[in-house]
Amino acid sequence: MRRFPCWHQLAPGTAILLLVLLLVGCATQTRSLLTSATDTLPRRVELTSVPFFPQERYQCGPAALAMSLTAAGIPIAPDALVPQVYVPAREGSLQPEMLASGRRNGALSMTIAPRLDALLAEIAAGTPVIVLQNLSLPLAPLWHYAVAVGYDLDRAEIVLRSGTTEREVMALSTFEHTWARGGYWAMITVPVDRLPATVDQAAATKALVAFEKSAKPDRARAAYHTALQRWPDGLSLLLGYGNAAYAQGDREAAVVAFRRATTLDPNSAPAFNNLATVLAELGQTEPAIQAAERAVAIGGPWHGEAMATLESIRAKKRDAR
Amino acid sequence: MISTIKRLFVCTLVAAFSFVGFTQTVQAAMIGTEQIVAAENAKQNQARISAALERPDVIAQLEQFGVSKADAQARVAVMTDEEAAMLAEQIDTLPAGGDVLGALLLVFFVLLVTDILGLTKVFPFTRSIR
Repeated sequence: MRRFPCWHQLAPGTAILLLVLLLVGCATQTRSLLTSATDTLPRRVELTSVPFFPQERYQCGPAALAMSLTAAGIPIAPDALVPQVYVPAREGSLQPEMLASGRRNGALSMTIAPRLDALLAEIAAGTPVIVLQNLSLPLAPLWHYAVAVGYDLDRAEIVLRSGTTEREVMALSTFEHTWARGGYWAMITVPVDRLPATVDQAAATKALVAFEKSAKPDRARAAYHTALQRWPDGLSLLLGYGNAAYAQGDREAAVVAFRRATTLDPNSAPAFNNLATVLAELGQTEPAIQAAERAVAIGGPWHGEAMATLESIRAKKRDAR
Repeated sequence: MISTIKRLFVCTLVAAFSFVGFTQTVQAAMIGTEQIVAAENAKQNQARISAALERPDVIAQLEQFGVSKADAQARVAVMTDEEAAMLAEQIDTLPAGGDVLGALLLVFFVLLVTDILGLTKVFPFTRSIR
């Protein structure tokens, strides 16, 4: 109430008008989307195959995530996700945990750009989108996760799986208000063989590295492989691919990836360091020492690691004599 | 009897230490993708580096907020440093998506109560207690 110190002095009509104005505002993204030529977006899309799990009290996070994961080919029930994302004292689920839980269940999870056109483009590409809405006003927030599964540009509507409603049709402008009050936060979960339509290389790399951290090596490798199809020159992606292949026990594939990384960026100490390590394990001691020396020469923040690698390969060579 | 226990103890220790030694050599030789990318990003964002230190904090916080210890550990284990840091700093302020019911009712009630208290006069049907 501090924002309106004179609330009680206002005439009721003015007060209600103010409240209405506050609620209406202007849905700028919706307006520009509807007025501009959007030849890239189909006029109407609805992903009818996305399942519906009605939420229990406070459990819209697990329900939304379960719908998204199941649509990505990872069948899971909301109940199984409650221990992974629900925070009892907050009576809800928090965004970092929603993302982490998506990965924990074998999907790549990432946020998308905070724009309505990106949201609709993902739906048009066949990916349902989990959105965070504040259905109430900032002074009494009511946070809610729903899954956007369709839209109709001609009718200016969006279709959501929301709460206990399987097909909630909401005016696009109303949705934009509730989504704006949720900070335009939206996430998707996709299987490792598919990359989201709107994601950029930096965001994809971030999501993949996070995925590699907890995924099985073969899954991580498959995910990097998918990303390398779109960005063949992604250095971090190549290094990730090499590391995942190595973790899987496929040293030959790791060498190929690290070699390519060293040609892409001849000043990448981690690429030379990891190449040296794998070559040494394959018994190719001389090329391994050369690569390790190059890593040491590049130095920088990885000087210590490179020195350790070089030393261990030299020691191995001495032992072999 | 005692010598058997001793021998068992020593064997366990030897096994444990040789395993520790093994993992350390492997880790010293390979540089992980997360480290590489984190080092690149560190130029732009210093905060991420220290986030690894905050993980026990996050587990404790989740427990305080009603999550069981085992669940909290499993949850924090899959988080990135950035996510762990975000949760550590904002667990009580991040929007917690939860429900679809109640808010409009709450606003209605707040205004109703303030009306009744005589602080507001939004609804024509209310009469102030004063």
